[in-house]
Amino acid sequence: MSKLDIHDLLYKVEKPARYLGNELNSVHKSIDETTVRFAFCFPDIYEIGMSHLGMQILYHLLNKEENVFCERVFAPAIDMEKIMRENNLPLFGLESRESIRHFDFVGFTLQYELSYTNILNMLDLAGTPLFSKERGEDDPFVIVGGPCAYNPEPIADFCDIVVLGEAEEVMVEIVKAYKEMKANTYSRRSFLEKIASIQGVYVPAFYDVTYLEDGTIEAITPNNQHAPKKLKKRIIQNLDEVFYPEEILVPYLNIVHDRVMLEVFRGCARGCRFCQAGMIYRPVREKGVERLKNLTEKLLASTGYEEISLASLSTSDYSNLDSIVRHLIDEYEKDKVGVSLPSLRLDNFTFELIQEIQKVRKTGLTFAPEAGTQRLRDVINKGLTEEDLRNAVEKAFSLGWNSVKLYFMIGLPTETYDDLDGIRDLAFMVADIYYETVEKGQRGKGLNVTASASTFVPKPFTPFQWHPQDSLEEIYSKQRHLVEKLKRRNVTFNYHDAKTSFLEGVFARGDRRLSKVLAEALKAGCKFDGWHEHFDFQRWMDVFGQAGVDPSFYANRQREYEEVLPWDHIDVGVTKKFLMKENEKAKAGVLTQDCRTNCSGCGINTGFVGGIC
Amino acid sequence: MKLRSRFSKKGDLIFISHLDVVRLFERAMRRGKIPISYTQGFNPHPIMAFATALGVGVESEAEYIDIQVDEKIETDEFISRLNAVMPGGLKILMSQYIDSSEDSLMAILRRSIYLVKINLEKTFDEEAIKEKINHFLTLEEIIEVKEKKKKKGKGFRRDKNKVQETNIRPLIHDLSLFSMNGQELILKMNLTTGSSGNLKPEVLVRKLAEETDLPIILDTVRINRLELLKEKDGQYVTLIEG
Repeated sequence: MSKLDIHDLLYKVEKPARYLGNELNSVHKSIDETTVRFAFCFPDIYEIGMSHLGMQILYHLLNKEENVFCERVFAPAIDMEKIMRENNLPLFGLESRESIRHFDFVGFTLQYELSYTNILNMLDLAGTPLFSKERGEDDPFVIVGGPCAYNPEPIADFCDIVVLGEAEEVMVEIVKAYKEMKANTYSRRSFLEKIASIQGVYVPAFYDVTYLEDGTIEAITPNNQHAPKKLKKRIIQNLDEVFYPEEILVPYLNIVHDRVMLEVFRGCARGCRFCQAGMIYRPVREKGVERLKNLTEKLLASTGYEEISLASLSTSDYSNLDSIVRHLIDEYEKDKVGVSLPSLRLDNFTFELIQEIQKVRKTGLTFAPEAGTQRLRDVINKGLTEEDLRNAVEKAFSLGWNSVKLYFMIGLPTETYDDLDGIRDLAFMVADIYYETVEKGQRGKGLNVTASASTFVPKPFTPFQWHPQDSLEEIYSKQRHLVEKLKRRNVTFNYHDAKTSFLEGVFARGDRRLSKVLAEALKAGCKFDGWHEHFDFQRWMDVFGQAGVDPSFYANRQREYEEVLPWDHIDVGVTKKFLMKENEKAKAGVLTQDCRTNCSGCGINTGFVGGIC
Repeated sequence: MKLRSRFSKKGDLIFISHLDVVRLFERAMRRGKIPISYTQGFNPHPIMAFATALGVGVESEAEYIDIQVDEKIETDEFISRLNAVMPGGLKILMSQYIDSSEDSLMAILRRSIYLVKINLEKTFDEEAIKEKINHFLTLEEIIEVKEKKKKKGKGFRRDKNKVQETNIRPLIHDLSLFSMNGQELILKMNLTTGSSGNLKPEVLVRKLAEETDLPIILDTVRINRLELLKEKDGQYVTLIEG
């Protein structure tokens, strides 16, 4: 393989620093014919992909292995892609500037459904055969993982290997098995058969899917004796012992999350019924404070970053939050290192802590009631009351905040227009509290309340996986209703484009028949569908038409409990029985307690972790 | 205490923007444990200031930065600590303490010297090229028309694209053929830079192509900044003397 000369092209593209590959803490290795080449691909532009913690972990983890060289690849921006295609320049690894066409592994992280066309476009740019069945002995293995890999069926036909669950151990096992076999007797098929029995490895080609006349699935059956009937996800038992990078890549460009991200725990004990992450990442496992202190010191020293963020699904639930935050402030305030805490919940919102953080750097204030009425919040198991919000904003306003963001979802199961009016009531209540709490002379720049509403997308492995998604017409009418109702000075209402949520809904719960839709979409030029300026809904509808696939079959159809779901052969630990029970409780508006208070019997502690979580 | 330093920007690093360089310095200060001073307030920032921004894709032998430090650090120590944590391509070349009453780099900057590599569509002999350059320099007015982007926001101005005409001739202090090799020429130029006016070499090259009939291939122009100058007793000297 030879190094591509991209120097002259860099003068012609926007933000050429995306393509340099020599950022601080990037890894460059000498290559020989025994080197296992791994392309870690993120199917979006550099600024998004570089913000992804999983990439930082796996990049450094794989490069720690002897004779394994993992490089990064991001979706080239539109201008770069155009120039690459004009110059017949294939997709290349940023570090080596070599084509990834004959790498051993080409890995993609599946972060959101709307990036699927970018995956196909990147395979196309790389010159790799699109479908798994078209690849031969000299082609790379296309390997995918990440949250959307729990239902990888819509893209299963393009993938050779799917990693289910947390990848730190299983990735190394796969690469080691590959190295070993390469040195002895090796064929593509024998390798896939060998790894098919590793927990967390799913080889889609080893499974057949049959369908019933009504279009639903009849059965998903293994067609290879090495393939297990039920595929269990992989989890890391001890987060203090698992690999975490002590150096992370520091970009030249300003990226979306431009800071040290320190993972404090995995999983979430809350059990919100709409939330896929809360179900698939169970159980809760924390990193200890000492480990966090140690990592912080090394990461700040190796990067020089001015900000550190404590990352998790719900950071205020970390049991030693107070102690770690105080440590960070005491230790690093002199270096002006700021601390940010994303994903705070307002029911245990610790203002004393926030004030501590404010001493160093100002952070915004965001609350996520998700639904407008207590009834609907009970349905989704968001155990949060109006009183909680009232207390939190009262305190916030009295401490000098004057800008509050409120996040809601529309289209939740059982939602009525009364629930929508509840969104208005909450937003207006927040505004009223401001005028009650803050004296006229103290109001400064004045109040700013932003309410935003995204469209609910039912996801696999949640209690709402059987629910129809609201049709576009229903969502539009709900959005119009809210626009009318939320007219008030100092209150801003935003809503997200429902069309992208519809497409997300189709692919989230889709099956293998969607692969031909994706292949057609690639031909039609669909890419960067998550980007408003590139998303073309009509083109997508034409593609569905040409492929003879009805998207509403996937998005808007009520599924029965008896139906075989496309992801039924995958075991994330949470049982289908539990999800059904939760769905019934949702309909009855009955809450389920936090699993640290009372085990809800989801199933994760039988078979994945012994005894209690 | 203020340290004034000169640094170069080369190789792949020419493709990072001025803002990227600012961030890179901030983080390098932390990694190199330089006792840099910070601004007060909620959002503290390290106190440092550059002479001028360098365009993306432009190489430079002579960029300048002022850095304020809380405690004195030997300049050699400062240079070696910083260079140890800088990426290849950015390098501190020299540093010296300056009086805190001294004017900022931005305020004293007057001129830039550039070497600019251009390619012609066909070969010309040296004399013909020199003649064209000389002709260009005899022009009294070289008008650069700049269309200012529409103003965002309300009001009648929104609809009008403002057109600004500048005579760039007074901003050109020297322009000569430095060397040539077939169709590849290297021009040397001395141009006004800074708060009193600013002429970018790529603009000059474009005007040269327009005003003479030199067939310059505009998208292969490569620029190298050699020096930044200030005025002292009627002479132009580098921003750090000695």
